[in-house]
Amino acid sequence: MSHRRFGLLLAFSVLFAIPPAYAQAPTGKVTVVTSYSKDVTDPIKKAFEAATPGVTLEVQNRNTNAGVKYLDETKANNQVDLFWASAPDAFEVLKAKNLLEHYTPKATGIPEKIGQFPINDPKGYYFGFAASGYGIMWNERYVKAKKLPEPKEWGDLATAPYYDHVSMATPSRSGTTHLTLEAILQGEGWDKGWGTIKAMAGNFRTVTERSFGVPEAVNSGEVGYGVVIDFFAFSAQASGFPVKFVYPTVTTIVPANVAIVAHAPNKTAAESFIEFLLSPTGQEVLFAPGIRRLPVNPAVYAKAPPDYPNPFKDPRLNGMVKFDVEKSEVRNGVVDALFDQIVSFQLDSLKASTKAIHETEAALAKKDNAQARALLKQARELINAMPVNEATASAKETTGAFTGSKQKGARQAELEQQWAAFAKEHCAQAKAKAEEALKLAR
Amino acid sequence: MAMTWRASQSRLSATPGQVMLALGIALFLALFLIWPTATVIWVAFTEKGSSTFTLVNFLDFVRTDLFVRSFWNSFYVSAMAVVCASVLALPLAYITSRFTFRGAVLIQTLGFLPLIMPPFVGAVAMQLFFGRNGSINLLLDDWLGFKIAFMDGLNGVIFVQAIHYFPFILINLSAGLRNIDSAMEEAAQNLGASGFRLFRRIVFPLAMPGYVAGASLVFVKVFDDLATPLLLNVKDMLAPQAYLRVTSIGITDPMGYVISVVLIVASVAAIALSALATRGTDYATVQRGGGGLARRELRPWESVLAYAVVTLILLLVLAPHAGLLLLSFATIWSFSPLPDSYTVAHYARIFGESSLYIKNTLVYASLAGLIDVVIGTAIAYLVLRTRLIGRTALDWAASAALAIPGIVLGIGYLRAFYGVQLWDGTPLATLWIVIVLALAIRRLPYALRSCYAALQQISVSLEEAAENLGATKARTVRRIVVPLMTGGILAGFVTSFATAAVELSATLMLVQSNSDAPLSYGLYVFMQSAAGRGPGAALGVIAVLLVAACTILSHIIIERGRAAAESRH
Amino acid sequence: MTSPFALSSTTASEISARAVSVRIENVNLSYGDHHVLKSVNLDIRPGEFFAFLGPSGCGKTTLLRLIAGFNRADSGRVLVDDKDISALPPWKRDVGMVFQSYALWPHMTVARNVAFGLEEKHVGRAEITRRVEAALNLVGLGGLGARRPSQLSGGQQQRVALARTIVVEPKLLLLDEPLSNLDAKLRVQVRRELRELQQRLGLTTIFVTHDQEEANTVCDRIAVMNDGIIQQIGTPKELYEKPANLFVANFLGTANILAGQLVQSGADRAFETENGLRIQIAKDADIPANARLVFRPQDVALVAAGEPPGADAAQISGTVAYREFLGAMIRYGVRIGASDVIVDTPFHAGDRLHDVGTEVTLAISIRSARWLAD
Repeated sequence: MSHRRFGLLLAFSVLFAIPPAYAQAPTGKVTVVTSYSKDVTDPIKKAFEAATPGVTLEVQNRNTNAGVKYLDETKANNQVDLFWASAPDAFEVLKAKNLLEHYTPKATGIPEKIGQFPINDPKGYYFGFAASGYGIMWNERYVKAKKLPEPKEWGDLATAPYYDHVSMATPSRSGTTHLTLEAILQGEGWDKGWGTIKAMAGNFRTVTERSFGVPEAVNSGEVGYGVVIDFFAFSAQASGFPVKFVYPTVTTIVPANVAIVAHAPNKTAAESFIEFLLSPTGQEVLFAPGIRRLPVNPAVYAKAPPDYPNPFKDPRLNGMVKFDVEKSEVRNGVVDALFDQIVSFQLDSLKASTKAIHETEAALAKKDNAQARALLKQARELINAMPVNEATASAKETTGAFTGSKQKGARQAELEQQWAAFAKEHCAQAKAKAEEALKLAR
Repeated sequence: MAMTWRASQSRLSATPGQVMLALGIALFLALFLIWPTATVIWVAFTEKGSSTFTLVNFLDFVRTDLFVRSFWNSFYVSAMAVVCASVLALPLAYITSRFTFRGAVLIQTLGFLPLIMPPFVGAVAMQLFFGRNGSINLLLDDWLGFKIAFMDGLNGVIFVQAIHYFPFILINLSAGLRNIDSAMEEAAQNLGASGFRLFRRIVFPLAMPGYVAGASLVFVKVFDDLATPLLLNVKDMLAPQAYLRVTSIGITDPMGYVISVVLIVASVAAIALSALATRGTDYATVQRGGGGLARRELRPWESVLAYAVVTLILLLVLAPHAGLLLLSFATIWSFSPLPDSYTVAHYARIFGESSLYIKNTLVYASLAGLIDVVIGTAIAYLVLRTRLIGRTALDWAASAALAIPGIVLGIGYLRAFYGVQLWDGTPLATLWIVIVLALAIRRLPYALRSCYAALQQISVSLEEAAENLGATKARTVRRIVVPLMTGGILAGFVTSFATAAVELSATLMLVQSNSDAPLSYGLYVFMQSAAGRGPGAALGVIAVLLVAACTILSHIIIERGRAAAESRH
Repeated sequence: MTSPFALSSTTASEISARAVSVRIENVNLSYGDHHVLKSVNLDIRPGEFFAFLGPSGCGKTTLLRLIAGFNRADSGRVLVDDKDISALPPWKRDVGMVFQSYALWPHMTVARNVAFGLEEKHVGRAEITRRVEAALNLVGLGGLGARRPSQLSGGQQQRVALARTIVVEPKLLLLDEPLSNLDAKLRVQVRRELRELQQRLGLTTIFVTHDQEEANTVCDRIAVMNDGIIQQIGTPKELYEKPANLFVANFLGTANILAGQLVQSGADRAFETENGLRIQIAKDADIPANARLVFRPQDVALVAAGEPPGADAAQISGTVAYREFLGAMIRYGVRIGASDVIVDTPFHAGDRLHDVGTEVTLAISIRSARWLAD
């Protein structure tokens, strides 16, 4: 028998052996690419497989970035059914590349928004199944040994005592951090927002390239404070680490999402997994100590453990401004690259100028000097100055450099070099001004 | 007549068998190294918005302060890591190979362990010991009121890299020292040289080729390594820059690939430079006869000193492993010199899953090691024993694999092989054998260098004697060359095996399901949560023990072979 | 054409040496259970060219290395000019050694190799240049200083090794099989030059070799060693004429060694070999127990059968088993009983030879016969 004949035969037999999918209860293997750790996936896998007999969940662990890259590289012959991760920007990228499947979940009882943030993708490509709040985590032993204060608000982290003790993930590597950043920018406006961010960043010890790098460093006592998602702190506490966590009065709510991958080999089972996650049973699994996410179904909170935060009632988790997803999406790459160029890769000069400002402030507190104050104000303004304004950041010419648009235009590397040079120059000037002020204040 | 014609022909060029072998290897390298890499890095040479060829991206590279800074940082860190690694390796190599020293095999084996540093946990353990608030600094601060910034910035990278990669120098330098005719040293003593002057003027220059081989390997590895700087949060180095850019979501910027090209070029240049520097200086085999290997007895006070130095160095280089062990038994270890209390619960947690990981790791790493020594031996043979055109190109291509970032290779494999479907529609790239191939390619340079060195020391006359007695080329290789190379081949296998067993960067991209996952992947999955730190460390301990056991076993085999060879003299 | 290896005419006064004596006292040395040197005692006179001769593994190189300081004795002392140097490390002994493999450092030029020892002694730069040049001239290698050792022939390398050693004006020169890596013709030439150089420098020199011809031609006195023991010390002539034991007799030159026993009949004593040779023994001769009869092949003459034996010869008949033509002489192997007796007879043109298988009668000079034990 020739190969071609054999192939044809095979194709026919496959055609007749497998009836159309929609008529069938989900069976077989459903493959999910996820950034979630075993602590999260294991209980959910167990519950899902118990609730859906005949289906096994195959978990492929990749960090969010690698996962996106993986789906993109393998799209020609996709073998993955679901993508399951926190960062909405990752889903946005996948959606833009037509790598996600449209779907309308049947689950009921889930509101449209949590706080001010839409739970699901308005266009119906990915769905929030849980939420988390951002906050500050700290190592009690560290704070006690160094006699440092316990923070309450974001602003605290920008003050002098916290200098060199704080860590945060870079938004270009952590979608949830990006959301927090964007929330600040949208809430306070472009220039003031960046001012807040830079004032805080001047106190950073490190900017990590993994979300988990921050809680890891706080857990082991390498840094004192970390800007983290709540569940990192809660699961560390559950493991026994001497860490504490606080939601500042205004915080961001970040969703955790799931989506069906385009051309999923087992679409039926993929749909059943989403339905399970959104069902009350699936939502309740989120209360498990190793998971600690906030369900998106308000009704489920009735069964929550005591003192469990409820974003639908807790004012702290509701205080966030309205979040413009469109706006965030357009300037996603620009905001991330800006942060890296003016904070991550300029951390040394940013810290040097911040330190000089802290010292001058301390001196001024003892002995006031109007001229020094003016200089200090100039120094702050120099640090706060941005190489691009809000309009330019969202303009096509700029964003095009980051998204591989087909148009000719500025290259990413060119823009980045300009921004970095701008930031470096301004930090150096700010440091000089602050030092001048310090001389006057003494 | 025909016989003699063919014989003279084979001296000049090659037998059909050798040509076939060369073509086979070329095909293998083209298929699993060059093509996948090319599919990824061609972007570096294309213009934005169109696909026309351009070099403007490289202009951007030199115009961007960050990249230039990163380049020099990488250069500085690599050079300093070589210096520090040399300081660690020199005494160990010298003491164990030039003196009768109890436990020399143990030291050589333990000295190999730092190469087997499992990803993530190794760095966590280092931070807990040497970090800003690690055990040592907490104690220093308590007792003496100061701290040492072991792990800060570039110094931290140098420190960790030196510890991690110093075995490359140790292994190569030891081999170099062992090959020095003892009369060389004695002649100098006879003329009044002793101690450090003797070492500096005679012993070290003679061991130079071995040292340079090791040092260049360290340089290139440090230059290309991204895991350590990233885990220490040092981003302004080339390899981390490439990684961050290649893997950032939604960014379609060619600079990540441009940096990859720079990395490859720089690494190849470093290797070429070291080859050039030691050309024609392969002294070890120039003169033979006389004493051969003579180990001196140490005087009592010398013994004490030697043991003290060796112990100190081993304590330092094995600190990450000690930390790892502590971590795997620790309940909580946070901002304190030692863990709060100890438990075996982490081992219980991984007990069930680890057997699958162990099996996969052993299969992948040993298959990769096997492929490496087979290809390594073949390339070494073609380069050293034939005049085949393009044989050195094979050598360079295989060595260049050293410089290709794992992530680039991983993506390249997906691009190259995911579209290739098997009969049932599954993509080729989803088969576990692809992981093996990626590991084999990544570790090929290590095995190649060992095989090369081993073959270099075998006199051609031994082969000619076999051919003279009627053995064909193929049979000569099988019956004379390979048995004589056993030590080197085994050493190459061990290096490939051990380092492949803890490889993550390419693996992470290629693992398709938990049932195909090796230990390092399991470890990665655990290390993503607070509760997974202990179990992750436990898995790390298992990985290290596993590889160490295999290493010791091979060392015993090598030592036995050497002892047998020496008794035959 | 002058030989490239001929010593240059540079005066040896450039290299001055003060001859020393060497004394080795009761030295023992073991490697594990292997007893390499057994109670070695030795006196070497100032300016003497002395050889350690013996088969491989006899301990001669070990003894040389002991003097150089590379081996340490378990007991005993090494004295140079009555000063005990046993405790000194090699680099403080001022004893020059030329290695069998030459041990030229391949990473240095010839001149740098030769300069090495002077540099270690912190000799001034100009002085080093001058002395290196002189030393190279002395061994006939002037102008080759810039070469690498690998660019030299074996004989040239040997000379560099020698120059490197003598340039530092050591008290004592040790040569470890210095000729073994040279071809036969060169060996003869170089050994003569070595002797000449030694004479010119007046340097006490110890030469290790397994080749008796080398030792005989070059050295003033020889210590024959076997199995870690010095068998005999003497001039080449003494050793050949009066070997102290069977080993020395056999090792130096060719010897016929016949087992037999002492026969006493009244006041007459005779030695009767197993194959029937009988030799009268002088009354006062002292013959050890288990002794064997030893005589040199040239001390045997072939005589016509039936000729009456002279007073100083013993006769016996046998069959020619083989014959070797050696030019100046003919060597016959004569089968007597179960063993062959080797007979060397001078050859003159026109002499008739005995064919294999013919019967011959041997006359053994009694004066040259010796009885030796192991």
